[in-house]
Amino acid sequence: MRQSLTRELTNLIERGRDRQLRLAVTGLSRSGKTAFLTSLVNQLRHAGLEARLDLMPAAREGRLLGARRVSQPDLGVPRFPYDQAMAALDAEPPRWPEPTRGISELRLSIRYRPARRGLLRADTAELNLDLFDYPGEWLLDLPLLGHDYLSWSRAMLAGAGEQRRALLAEWERVAAGLDPAAEANEAELAEVAALYAHSLQAAREAGFANLQPGRFLLPGDLEGAPVLQFFPLPALADADDSALAKLPPESVYATLAARFRHYQQHIVRPFYRDHFRRFDRQIVLVDVLGALNAGPERFEDLSQALATLMQSFDYGKRSLLSRLFSPRIDRLAIAATKADHVTPEQHANLTTLLEALLAEPLQDLRYANVPVKALSLAAIRATEAHEVSHRNERSPALRGTTLAGEEVLVFPGEVPAKLPEPGFWARQGFDFRAFRPAPREGGALPHIRLDAALDWLIGDKLQ
Amino acid sequence: MSDRRHEPPEDDPRPARRFTLDEPATPGPEIPRPRLDFDSHLPSRPLEEEAPVSRAERDLEASLGRPRKRRWGLLTLLGGGIVLGSVELALRLPEALLGGDWLSGGWHLLGLGAIALGAGALLREAWRLRRLKRHDALRSRLARLPEADAAEALSLAKVLKQQLGLDDDHPHWQAFLAAREPHHGGAEIQQLLAHHLLAPRDRQARRLISRMSGETAVMVAVSPLTLVDMFLVAWRNLAMIDRLCRLYGLELGYASRLRLLRNVLYNMAFAGATEMASDAGVELLSLNLAGRLSARAGQGMGVGLLTARLGLRTQRLTRPLVFGESEAPRMADLRSELWQQLRRLEKQE
Repeated sequence: MRQSLTRELTNLIERGRDRQLRLAVTGLSRSGKTAFLTSLVNQLRHAGLEARLDLMPAAREGRLLGARRVSQPDLGVPRFPYDQAMAALDAEPPRWPEPTRGISELRLSIRYRPARRGLLRADTAELNLDLFDYPGEWLLDLPLLGHDYLSWSRAMLAGAGEQRRALLAEWERVAAGLDPAAEANEAELAEVAALYAHSLQAAREAGFANLQPGRFLLPGDLEGAPVLQFFPLPALADADDSALAKLPPESVYATLAARFRHYQQHIVRPFYRDHFRRFDRQIVLVDVLGALNAGPERFEDLSQALATLMQSFDYGKRSLLSRLFSPRIDRLAIAATKADHVTPEQHANLTTLLEALLAEPLQDLRYANVPVKALSLAAIRATEAHEVSHRNERSPALRGTTLAGEEVLVFPGEVPAKLPEPGFWARQGFDFRAFRPAPREGGALPHIRLDAALDWLIGDKLQ
Repeated sequence: MSDRRHEPPEDDPRPARRFTLDEPATPGPEIPRPRLDFDSHLPSRPLEEEAPVSRAERDLEASLGRPRKRRWGLLTLLGGGIVLGSVELALRLPEALLGGDWLSGGWHLLGLGAIALGAGALLREAWRLRRLKRHDALRSRLARLPEADAAEALSLAKVLKQQLGLDDDHPHWQAFLAAREPHHGGAEIQQLLAHHLLAPRDRQARRLISRMSGETAVMVAVSPLTLVDMFLVAWRNLAMIDRLCRLYGLELGYASRLRLLRNVLYNMAFAGATEMASDAGVELLSLNLAGRLSARAGQGMGVGLLTARLGLRTQRLTRPLVFGESEAPRMADLRSELWQQLRRLEKQE
């Protein structure tokens, strides 16, 4: 108790001096969070030596001295597996780091020389950067906090498109047979819930993003617990609210509603309270290329998922008081990841498309007067940009190794500046191939615009 | 003649005219126009697009712009003088030599030499004036760098390198090339150029301005002859402008120096005045400071400040990449340096 109090106090003092930042790296699963964090740590470790961070004034002017991993404040949370991730990148052949299966934390202490010397300023200063990694699937649980079982159940079934419906069809057929008023049968509910989880998995495999609840996709240590045995009821779509409220506690409806509440209160809320409330800066990573590959319905689905997700964060200007007691995100970067999978001249379009994808949250942020920067980045660059002379025409191209291990020289295709009409997918569609990381040659990891992102997120604190 | 009498001139009052009641009245402006259906194949263009500029408009634009002064008379006089003079002298030269009139031949040769020198000087002036114009053109092209794509930006960077007179293996250019990546767009290249190519020159320029203004201030403060100082100050200021320009890859001739000086003074008079108004507080403070110095030192401070302002303004007008909002060097930093220099002087006395 005493120790935690001291910790809180130290944090408070550090926050007051504005020498501590907590960075939210937000992204759905497979958007590249782990790669981003690994590369971020790697670049800052190598800063001032081999790392090329030319778009970051502090590094360009030689003021950034480097960073060290220090012991994190919360000892109950595993440390971010940086070494394992680097080991995967160094393997033969190189692999991408393993997808995250649990929460982990990391604190970096960044040392720099202040730009202006003053009487009260020391030669070097330090900035603590708190990072936090988690499975992207769980992130989608945050919007659940704004629902009760009834509204969630209706929302889940209302907005589904054709393809998504088809994936959920089997479960929906079974679940539609359940009468909300009937007495709950434990075994039957478990069976339907398993079917639901199975359909969600299938939907994720097919490229959908807006899938709730997240623990169904990645249960962690909750595998098989009754709290994970609930699902939306199709029969509720046009049921009478007051009649439902009077149903006895052992009815199907009441049982499912109770499990939903338990899930909210004991799984989602602690997750949110412990890790998501205090952020100063945020970067939202979006795999735009993956969504383009998957088609218009899934693109729209991703857009919705991100819009609901971003409502779970507090945005606004910071002052000394708010910094101490209710931190808010006062600066935000949105990034289209895996920019190394397209040729450099397509980056502008990629950014435009990203802005279109996040149009709705961007309007809210604009209203809250929070500065946002959109960029395209690749935390770990896996390809090299080339130029090919082909039939007397010069064409940009990429050279890299695909996941299957085949070395290719390819022009991956153009990225549209705005979403094409649905017919386009039927005619041509997109096929942006995934590459595996290039073998490392020592030094810092190669990257695209990670320096620009870093400068936007923490550059103003390194003055 | 007879027609004119039947048709009265237009500005005469119109005579009375009577209408019958059932005569169809022309619809007034208050009656809404009926619908008109167009064939959708008719050529049309969206309103928000700008209409193609017609030739007449372009001519109008050109005539409304600042009048282009071409001193044709002067040019004809100079050109004619050079051509006719050299032809005449060249034709008379063999005659004089054959006639054995060595003195006249010598004069002819001297005349030819003088004409050649004058023509050379004129050409050099014209060339340098052209360089100044090219420099201005490069400035406006570089100002649009953020919108450029990677290939354009790189070619602009090469033009800038040439303008600054850097070799391919100059360390600054090499550092820029090392920092550049194929995915960098125009805005990013601009940042890198500003840091790798221009920042070292900016630092030199800053040192130069600070040194020059300081020395000028001290010179005025200690000199017994004010009128002589004033000439020296003018001379030093011109030399400072020259050296600043050379730092940014611009060689000045007589005409181009005049033009630049005119630009700088114009800028100081108008653009500079607004800026001064905006930090009037600091300005007043420096007057206060000057009041605390002796009269001579105060005078020196005033002249030093003027030199510094001239230098900063020249730097701002000749730096190939226009300064961003916050990166432009400010008077305030130079002012405190000046003040300290003069204080030291006072104490020594």
